[in-house]
Amino acid sequence: MTILAVPSGWRTGAITAVTEWHSPSRMTAAGLRLAVHLFLVVCLWHALYAGTTVSAGLTEAQAVTYAVLAVLIVRPRANDRYSARDTVIQHINFGTIVYWFLRPLPARRYYFFRAAGDQVYGLAWALAGYLVCLAAGVLDPPPSAGAALAFAATFALGQAVTYYLLLLTDQLCFWTIKNSSAVDIMMFTQNLLSGAYAALWFFPGWFQALSAALPFQATINVPLSFYVGRLPLSELPGQLALQGFWVLLLAALTRFLWTRAAGRVVAQGG
Amino acid sequence: MRGFLPAWALALRVVGLTFRAQLEYRGEFWMRVALGLAWQTSIIVFATVLLGRFPGMGGWSSDAVLMIAAVRMLGHAFYEVFFGRVGELAVLVQEGRFDAFLLRPLPVYRQVQLSAFPSNALGDLLVGGSLFAWAVWSIELEWAPWQIAYIVAALVGGMLVEAAVFTALSSLHLHFPSAITWSYWTEELMTTFGNYPLKILPGVISGAFTFVVPLAFVAYFPVAVLTGNTAGLGVPVAVAAAAPLIGLAAFAGSRVLWNWSLTRYTGVNG
Repeated sequence: MTILAVPSGWRTGAITAVTEWHSPSRMTAAGLRLAVHLFLVVCLWHALYAGTTVSAGLTEAQAVTYAVLAVLIVRPRANDRYSARDTVIQHINFGTIVYWFLRPLPARRYYFFRAAGDQVYGLAWALAGYLVCLAAGVLDPPPSAGAALAFAATFALGQAVTYYLLLLTDQLCFWTIKNSSAVDIMMFTQNLLSGAYAALWFFPGWFQALSAALPFQATINVPLSFYVGRLPLSELPGQLALQGFWVLLLAALTRFLWTRAAGRVVAQGG
Repeated sequence: MRGFLPAWALALRVVGLTFRAQLEYRGEFWMRVALGLAWQTSIIVFATVLLGRFPGMGGWSSDAVLMIAAVRMLGHAFYEVFFGRVGELAVLVQEGRFDAFLLRPLPVYRQVQLSAFPSNALGDLLVGGSLFAWAVWSIELEWAPWQIAYIVAALVGGMLVEAAVFTALSSLHLHFPSAITWSYWTEELMTTFGNYPLKILPGVISGAFTFVVPLAFVAYFPVAVLTGNTAGLGVPVAVAAAAPLIGLAAFAGSRVLWNWSLTRYTGVNG
């Protein structure tokens, strides 16, 4: 990466944030939706625990904290790039994907800056939501400094896994022409197997074993389990190694697919 | 009546053509079927996990709660079959394809519904139907003729309530395609909170799910009447029992709103 690429990368990464910033109504609506959703999720989990104190090794406070944080972590996916007509599938359908391969900035680097910008923008919302919820006493802080550090480390790697999973589904449309269903399936699968709907501790053993063999739980369940203290710190090295394995594997696979994808680009008319 | 049968014959021919068109993208077709399966299955897994961990929600038996989920999901499958394309209206408007509908001698709303074959609904029907059969087999009801007739009416009513909500929202998409994020959010709310007795939530929330987003009329109220769990509904039992009729009225109202919105349609470029 050259020095000149950094400013263009910053500008590319800031596209979503700048677009949203210039649309106050969209930002207000996004904030409203997030606030209402958090409130509803808190109500649901308090109601579920009305008749019990501990379930699947999680207390009511731990479960509510987990559920709130899961909503916040999933927040970056709510960015609407479709309206800006800048999704991979739209570019392939409109034929404009060819420009990605004609610019001085390589396609895979443009994709990285754009996606990373989206994730940072979404996480800024998540951080704001976290601070408000923490101040309001809706969720608890991590039980120890070690748990906080374990959360930070596994969360960072989890975001890398999330990036590569989304990239993989976008790369798919170079071969399938359409990929909206693949993206949706990936979203549901990821939500279910990552523990976004509910902590994986609530699920039966076979389901947890299935999740352990896939990369999805690295994105939400692992970092949040450290945050609420459900996973002991002794598990940290093993979890980091597993997350690192997934990051390396997905990085190698997606890099290989980028080289193949360039050969699949067809300008309008063939 | 003279024009009714030819209109349906024409609609069926268009459905056949859109089916053949989708088969041109064989991979995407099967992925859309899988999408319906994945979507419904993820909801079932989430609901059954919560039912297993937190039995006796709001004083309801697990079988009765399962029936709520089954009616909602099968009603949703019917919605996907007959009305699901309103969810794609924003895309049709943004890409300019909607404008062509205004020039053809068919009702515009019908053309929206005929714009694509609902292949994802095949998966929805498969899973929703299976869950419904399981719920009917599990629940201890005598299944008197009135109960059979009422559950059929409830399924149709649930479909119409969902169609009313998303038709009303799509009347906004005619002018602001980016408002589709509200539809995604509403769908997420209905999916997350539509499978349980709403009485477990605080009054203000269950009230909002009754009078703002009429989720309670989709499955909660009809199943409450059917199973006799009518305490704490928040509305008179007669109103809850009239859920299928209220669904019909809501859909008729949403169509009036949609037609009014259509008269003010100017296209995305003004």
